[in-house]
Amino acid sequence: MSNIAGKAYAMNVITPIPWWKAIWQHAAFKFVVRFPSNLKGLINLSLIHYARWTIIGRNSFPHLAPSQPKEDLHYSYMMFESNFNGSWDQYIDSFSFAIPEGLDLFWRFNIGYPKSIPLHGFYNYIRFNQIETDHFYNAYPCASSNDVKSATHLYDNLKDFTETSLELSDEDFEQAYNALLLDNQQYLGCMEAGPSLSLKEY
Amino acid sequence: MSYIDGISMKESKSLDLYDIQGNVCKGYGRYGFPKARYCFLSFQHTHSAREFLALLIEKITTAETWPVSESSDHHRIKPNSTLNLGFTYSGLKKLGLPERSLKGFPVDFTMGMKARSEILGDTGISAPEHWDDIWQQDNVHAWVAINARDQDAIEFEFNALGDLVTQHPDGVRIMSGIKGPNNTILPYQDASAVFENGLPTAKEHFGFTDGIGNPYFEGCGNSMSRLPGRGKLMRDGSWQPLATGEFVLGHVDEAQEYPPAPEPKLLSRNGTYMVYRKLHENVDTFNGYIDNLAKDFDGSRDLLMAKMSGRWPDNGAPLTLAATDEEKETLDAKMASIELRVSEGDKSALIERKELRRQWVDFTFNDDKSGSRCPVGAHIRRTNTRGSLETEHKAFHRPGALVDRRRLMRRGLPYGGIDEAKSDSAEQGIIFMSIGASIERQFEFVQQQWVNYSNDFKLGNDKDPLIGSHDGKLTDKHIIQGCPIKGAKPPFFCTQMPRFVETRGGDYFFIPSISALRMIAEGLIDPS
Repeated sequence: MSNIAGKAYAMNVITPIPWWKAIWQHAAFKFVVRFPSNLKGLINLSLIHYARWTIIGRNSFPHLAPSQPKEDLHYSYMMFESNFNGSWDQYIDSFSFAIPEGLDLFWRFNIGYPKSIPLHGFYNYIRFNQIETDHFYNAYPCASSNDVKSATHLYDNLKDFTETSLELSDEDFEQAYNALLLDNQQYLGCMEAGPSLSLKEY
Repeated sequence: MSYIDGISMKESKSLDLYDIQGNVCKGYGRYGFPKARYCFLSFQHTHSAREFLALLIEKITTAETWPVSESSDHHRIKPNSTLNLGFTYSGLKKLGLPERSLKGFPVDFTMGMKARSEILGDTGISAPEHWDDIWQQDNVHAWVAINARDQDAIEFEFNALGDLVTQHPDGVRIMSGIKGPNNTILPYQDASAVFENGLPTAKEHFGFTDGIGNPYFEGCGNSMSRLPGRGKLMRDGSWQPLATGEFVLGHVDEAQEYPPAPEPKLLSRNGTYMVYRKLHENVDTFNGYIDNLAKDFDGSRDLLMAKMSGRWPDNGAPLTLAATDEEKETLDAKMASIELRVSEGDKSALIERKELRRQWVDFTFNDDKSGSRCPVGAHIRRTNTRGSLETEHKAFHRPGALVDRRRLMRRGLPYGGIDEAKSDSAEQGIIFMSIGASIERQFEFVQQQWVNYSNDFKLGNDKDPLIGSHDGKLTDKHIIQGCPIKGAKPPFFCTQMPRFVETRGGDYFFIPSISALRMIAEGLIDPS
């Protein structure tokens, strides 16, 4: 079991929310989707692959067979899923430093939510409600999401270049090649195994 | 009111500067102390070690403010030398701190630097097995630093320390095992500013001007004139002091809480942590690499060096202010003309000089997102990102939200380069010291994520061109970005970068307050 695979970390957090407040939370999500500028900070945190918040109604949990005992849940639940690059602390720190208001908007109606600042209350809240990952597969363990984005840009641009540069004279080729380097200079970081994220050695 | 740099000022928060050790609030070099000696103590019997400590406390320099002017009436309170003290975790154990207090220290500190080498990139030739002999043992218990105006004062204070140690043969000894010049093994590490024409400079042995952008925190006792560029960047472009708790325990930090700290409060309040690292500089390798690369580089050797560090080597001017040889010539001419007018007694030139010098520190990378002026991977842009990680306007709570809790208060000095000619095998480098309330969140994060990795800069695994743990591989590279306009120069690649800087030793130290030191010496620490 590990939440870590290569450069990526998988985080799942389930938190209870009163069913009637879940309706307000739904409204908050709709507001954010309607005005996505509120997500600017989240998107700007380039260590994040994605983040998803889902509300599971207290009557929505699967009931697979009549033999499964019926559950009488007092609360609805909010499920947060995210994959990101970096360690748990780095992720939570970045969240709390950069978008404290955004976090409060997403969790404010949840039971026991302490607000994202001060930091250690938020740390404890996430740790307490985190569901550890049983299995986490990463197809590209040496790639962060930024690495993947850079590589796909570079691949597309290089492909175009190879198609358009075949017939160029030496001088024109040099010029076109230099222009290619300039256009892609932000995509040229090298890719290797990431820094140590796991604390199991410590 | 306090009097610093000859300026009186009202502080928004006053700290008990008489309780905080002086090295926390002062970079001694700036106060006319260009020489230092660091030595390491090993404690033997607790009782005798505490007796020694009780006597040493009287010599410790606090953070009380000094006037800089020699002619001031306050001159008598500025000493000829300073002394400061810190303990490793094993040192605190040896001094008999209760288990519950010891358990309150964070894991980074309790493990010590050697055990964290993987995180720090201290691998290969920088791995602990290659460090100076003193670090091959596990009984470094305390760090003592003497800073002084000249070498005579250093010797005087060191001898006095030696006398005190001799009086406690069962309690404490000064450890040997530090590599010195000309293959000597010494019981101390000397450090000194690099002197040019008989005067101390802010240079290190590669030739860069160093130590410019140290952070400014609330209550630090420095003049508010030093705030711009050193505090936290606000949305309107102004700067505010960083919260005290980023650098001193027992005070509220940027997360609006007290930093985690051991109990009782009196043990931790006004104390802090310090990272000590002996960083060897391979000057031959560095000069050879730069000379070779400069042949292909479209610009001067100085510009190439500046594109690696982010500052011009001769005077530390940032590339944001002058990013080409032509711009640097104009800047130098402007500075020379101001200096001339200052020497002729023109008072307005003084203001102009101050304003221009302010821009050495007070800048952002907002107008240089592509890195065509200061490369995205340049040393100063990595280690103090200012507002550059907020790539979209108003995305974050504050422009510097991702850096305000990652600042390093550096307190280092160069070493070597005096008794032997500089070369790869000679002893020269930097004694790097960094002070902060969390070693893991501040120093270790910067070292791991920003110096030896680049995901936050979208540069993959590229490393810091000066201090990154390179090994000469083709992919050990630094990109000097070109200007992203059609027809402009393409980026320039520094590849196969060797390891310019190697770690040769160090550890993590707790720098207690004066009150805590007294309690430790008297065996009065009680967390119940």
